[in-house]
Amino acid sequence: MSARIATLVLFAIAFVTAQARVLNLGSDGEPETLDPHRYNLRLEETLLNDLFVGLTTFDVQGRVSPGCAESWRTSEDGLTWTFELRDGLRWSDGTPLTAHDFVYSLRRLLDPATAASLAYFLYPIANAEAVNTGKLPTTALGVEAIDDTTLVIRLAAPFPFLPERLMYPTGFPVPRHVIERVGDAFIKPQHWVSNGAFVLTEWQPQAHVRMAPNPNFFAARDVSVDGVVYYAGGDANTAYNRYRAGELDTIGGFPGNELAWVRAHLGKDLRMSPLLSIMYLVFNVTQPPFDDARVREALALVIDRALITDRVMGTGEVPSPSFVPAMVEDYTPVPYPHISLPRAARLERARALLADAGFGAGKPLDVTLRYISGADTKKVYVAIAAMWKEIGVQARLHQAELKVHFADLRQGNFEVAQAGWFGESHPEHYLGLLESGTGNVNYGRFVDAEFDRLMAHAKTLPDRSARLAALREAEARAATLFPVVPLYSVMIRSLVNPHITGWVENPRNVHPARFLGWQ
Amino acid sequence: MLAHVLTRLPILLGTFAVIVTAAFFLMRLAPGGPFDDERRLPPEIEANLRAAYHLDEPLPAQYLRYVGMVLRGDLGPSFKQKDFDVNELIAAGLPVSLTIGGIALAFALILGVTLGTAAALHRDAAGDFTIMGFTALGLALPSFVIGPLLGLGFGVMLGWLPAGGWGSARHCLLPALALGLPFLAAIARLARGSVIEALAAPHVRTARSKGLSRHRILLRHVLPGALTPVVSFLGPAAAAMLAGSVVIEQVFALPGLGRYFVQGALNRDYTLVMGAVIVYATMILAFNLIVDLAYARLDPRLRVRS
Repeated sequence: MSARIATLVLFAIAFVTAQARVLNLGSDGEPETLDPHRYNLRLEETLLNDLFVGLTTFDVQGRVSPGCAESWRTSEDGLTWTFELRDGLRWSDGTPLTAHDFVYSLRRLLDPATAASLAYFLYPIANAEAVNTGKLPTTALGVEAIDDTTLVIRLAAPFPFLPERLMYPTGFPVPRHVIERVGDAFIKPQHWVSNGAFVLTEWQPQAHVRMAPNPNFFAARDVSVDGVVYYAGGDANTAYNRYRAGELDTIGGFPGNELAWVRAHLGKDLRMSPLLSIMYLVFNVTQPPFDDARVREALALVIDRALITDRVMGTGEVPSPSFVPAMVEDYTPVPYPHISLPRAARLERARALLADAGFGAGKPLDVTLRYISGADTKKVYVAIAAMWKEIGVQARLHQAELKVHFADLRQGNFEVAQAGWFGESHPEHYLGLLESGTGNVNYGRFVDAEFDRLMAHAKTLPDRSARLAALREAEARAATLFPVVPLYSVMIRSLVNPHITGWVENPRNVHPARFLGWQ
Repeated sequence: MLAHVLTRLPILLGTFAVIVTAAFFLMRLAPGGPFDDERRLPPEIEANLRAAYHLDEPLPAQYLRYVGMVLRGDLGPSFKQKDFDVNELIAAGLPVSLTIGGIALAFALILGVTLGTAAALHRDAAGDFTIMGFTALGLALPSFVIGPLLGLGFGVMLGWLPAGGWGSARHCLLPALALGLPFLAAIARLARGSVIEALAAPHVRTARSKGLSRHRILLRHVLPGALTPVVSFLGPAAAAMLAGSVVIEQVFALPGLGRYFVQGALNRDYTLVMGAVIVYATMILAFNLIVDLAYARLDPRLRVRS
């Protein structure tokens, strides 16, 4: 009997080690495309980061590090950036990859015919917007290959965050020699050529995306797994069940109400850290009384962030007193004034502000609060409505499905609404949403000449730290006017098989498979 | 029979045209569009996208363009799954849905009729109560409850079968079980009722008095008549099963057509939803036609009339 068990165990071990080299990773959903220039979703970024590498890329902690470019320098005025490519770069089919491929790729991204939804990421490049709107030919774009390994990018205005911006798939090279032969079918597995750590071998829609190591990747020697398979989500419960059944090695989330059970039973697998993100309420300042900063401040003051994150949600979210999230690198965000006062003082001030603005027992303030439907979000907005009630504000809740919600926001069809933003690790990315020139993505149509002036000034500064300091002044100005109410930063709740190595928590939540291994 | 099909054909085609047209305009009327997202697109970018998908044309022109494409057998590019066209997605998803649906239907039919007949033969005995109790449970539990429970029990706790995903025969079992169970229950109850009725019918009494064996009476004289209601149930059941598969595919992360339908609707992926509607409409109309024909074969009175 014991011999039989021993044999079984041996078989099990052999099975596990033989299988383990290919990692089975849970994906949050189905990629809409694997064309790096047409991508739109965070989950596509995850897959594309394994398939391609741009001029810059992520290190194991998600920070900017050299990618295809081994070094870069910028001119005094910050307008000319010179990237030196690594020697001997190759596509997965062995074709040399040169600076000319990057010129071709950036032109393709901004060509209106590509209809790239995120083309505006690279609008800092000289003439990019004019090219993308068809006013100039793609050849007018400010990119130039000096020789096979030297690429020059000219900017319209100084932009010290360019290296970060170039890590995203919009900055990835695409294989011109394949696209010219097969066109848009270049993303099919049978034609696949890329320059990242892995190549696409199979894509069954709504099921899985399979990748094999790319022997021509410049750091191929550091890749330790034999391949990765990303499994499309289903619902959160399904992925969670599949993780618990051992079918998936990592998942990016699980139902929030399972947190206590997971803590007790899968403590070693649970990896929690805050995501570089901000969830907030936005006021439509074109609609009275939300054009009145006193009303906005009063509504902001009575919201108890910690109560929402700790008691109402209870899933680890981090309360944020500032619009720019705390995880942004080399920067200390400006907290909104008064919102960290003791509760009684906040309530008193809020009541006084409302009374000043002409609201009181005789004329209560009526607010419609819009949020995206979902069990987890609903309780947050019910709680906020209850908090508002304490100062006599009557809130009507209005929930809508995600698409409808954002369509309403963009059309300015709301009073106060749920919104969120995530992505880059510099304050401009967040503060830009409050500029008057941002168009309908400034959902609340917030306009403040002084804030606009401070932002415009900051954007003339090529030096990164001087720019961050100037942006902080702009943030402080906006905070006094309460255009939004910062609520919290999202908590990443991943489950990672304890056998997996190289999975390091980071605020961008990027975990390229080239760093992962199995022990 | 051919005549019957031919007389039904214009009605079927008309229904189909109405469904497709209604779906097309309802989809466009839904608030939000394929490019409304958390990510915020500058207007010039959205203009590029809208032009690429002909969304900048007036709605009637888009409709005519779409109908023209469908008549040529082209369901168009997907708005969201940009690397596939709708034909490719349906070719990938339909076999999955049909496999699960086929297994579930066969399982529900065979086991349902067997259990229902067994219950009828042991009417008001322990076996009958057990079977009817079980079917009451099957009818009461919706598949979005049964599915996760089966996944948790057989996938996570026992580890016998995959908790989700697609790839091997083993992946089919739990979803087919979850999908088929309510129909099994309904069929068992239908079969029980009509077998009890048939057992009391004069021709069965005659057969019994002639001394025929129990088996022969059951197979030759009871079941053919008793199964008519079961067969007429199969048309709506197959349609309901298509609807159920939407849930089951979500619960078990199966790459079937239902999943595309849901994702497509949520994403306002107009062409993908239309493609799925066309396939669903075709299947439901076909099921109803087949049931009509089968009904005519089982019930001689209808055969004479047609």
